[in-house]
Amino acid sequence: MHIPDGFLSTPVWATMDVAAAPALGYIVRRAQRGFDDSRVPLLGVMGAFVFAAQMINFPVGIGTTSHLVGGALLAYTLGPAAASVVMSAIIAIQALVFQDGGILAMGANLINMALVGVLAGYLPFYLWGGGRWRKLAIFAGGALSLLASAVLALAELLVSGVPMPASVLGVSLALFVVSALLEGAITLAVIEALETIQPGFVRKPETGRSFALGAIGLAAVLLAAVGVLVASTAPDGIEKLGLQTGIASHVRSLVTTPLTGYQAAFFQTGWLRKASAGLAGLALIYGACLLIGRAVARKRSV
Amino acid sequence: MHHVVLERWSQGASVLHRRDPRAKIAALMVFLVVLATAHRALPVLGVALVLLLSAALIWARLPLFRALARAAIVLPFSLIFAAVCWLTGDPARGFSLLLKSYLSALAVLLVVSTTPFPALLRGLETIGAPRFLLMVAQFLYRYLFVISEEAQHMTIAAASRGATVRGVMAGARFRAAAGALAVLFARSYGRAEDIHRSMLARGFLGRFQPAAALRFRATDAVFTLFASLAPVLLRAAVERAL
Repeated sequence: MHIPDGFLSTPVWATMDVAAAPALGYIVRRAQRGFDDSRVPLLGVMGAFVFAAQMINFPVGIGTTSHLVGGALLAYTLGPAAASVVMSAIIAIQALVFQDGGILAMGANLINMALVGVLAGYLPFYLWGGGRWRKLAIFAGGALSLLASAVLALAELLVSGVPMPASVLGVSLALFVVSALLEGAITLAVIEALETIQPGFVRKPETGRSFALGAIGLAAVLLAAVGVLVASTAPDGIEKLGLQTGIASHVRSLVTTPLTGYQAAFFQTGWLRKASAGLAGLALIYGACLLIGRAVARKRSV
Repeated sequence: MHHVVLERWSQGASVLHRRDPRAKIAALMVFLVVLATAHRALPVLGVALVLLLSAALIWARLPLFRALARAAIVLPFSLIFAAVCWLTGDPARGFSLLLKSYLSALAVLLVVSTTPFPALLRGLETIGAPRFLLMVAQFLYRYLFVISEEAQHMTIAAASRGATVRGVMAGARFRAAAGALAVLFARSYGRAEDIHRSMLARGFLGRFQPAAALRFRATDAVFTLFASLAPVLLRAAVERAL
């Protein structure tokens, strides 16, 4: 799910980089607040743990294995802000040292996995982690963290104009759902094993969340994820239809002389339109998150 | 192991190795943006940029073919999407995906294999990346292979006790893997606490003291200028000619 450079169109990676910078700054300050310096080695070593965890295979089905991705697990044990910082450091090292994920696309990767992925994973635990549905919340958090980052990555690729026919999209979504469920199961199993070793590792979320508020928050995350995907497929499909019916002959001649000026101009206007649609969508989601955040904060202070 | 190669490469003493990390970061960003925004005459531009990066690799006295092969690590991912593009009748976009992802990875590889990782992080710090995050990244890099080796020992130990034998209940093996991961987690946590205690014992005051300050010399400025101009001029020339 690490998007390399060259996949995202310029408006998309530029927007994501611009959005990621202040978000990252905020999260880092948040993680530093209330922690002493002992957190630095702790966060670094736990990042190394997440890397190493990829070597331990979990048997799933016939002959296939899966491994932990870790965003949700870190959020439960270190807290969401610190987990975001650790995942950010992991993404930076993967891009720099292992050439896994791009540099210009790093803003997008950070938002997908380190920010949204970790926070979406923490949400169910935050809401129901103290109550009767604790196990379910841990499982749902693991699954949701993976699903949210995967859907975001897919949406960014679609908005950038990377062609994905319905069949390819369907197969990749199905694969993501399966790996999301596996991540949930692995996260839950590891948390349970951790608690038998030493109960202090898993943090206690503050209790007393209302069920309705949680349901609204979850629904918002799911709706946003699905909405981004649907919104970005629809214009793409229309554009493709136009390409195939109206200017199919042009496309044929363009194959021999790749990407002449005409096609570039066509894509650029398409990008602008799609990018603004995407931005409007992002603004809507941001507004929704802000409102929900306010509501949660007010509830907490009472 | 994987990282040892990079570690050895970045310890060289070529002209490129000796440049200030900020100069190399600036040149890298220019290269990446020039590449990412290019849409015309991509095959020719691609060849030109590969030649440019290869020349830089030779200049840095790095093994050219091994570096070219290492950057190919991005290709499996790109190939899947390129194949989809091909099937949906847009081979030009497929080619562009392959070319841009490969060239970007090669450019990043060139920078990290001529700059030791701590120097690279210090360069990033002076241009405004959050210090806390970079310190976490430095610890992560330092302990990455320590913890990975521990994980490897655990998998070997598990395999020697019959963890990979067929016919064992999958549920039991799943739980065993979860247990192993939990043990690794607890050990890593404990190790981090030990590390912090020994750091305090050695007088750690909340930030790393670099052995020598970074210095941006006139040669670095000249290097930045030429290294940034090279891809821009190449692209302008290619687009004018075609």
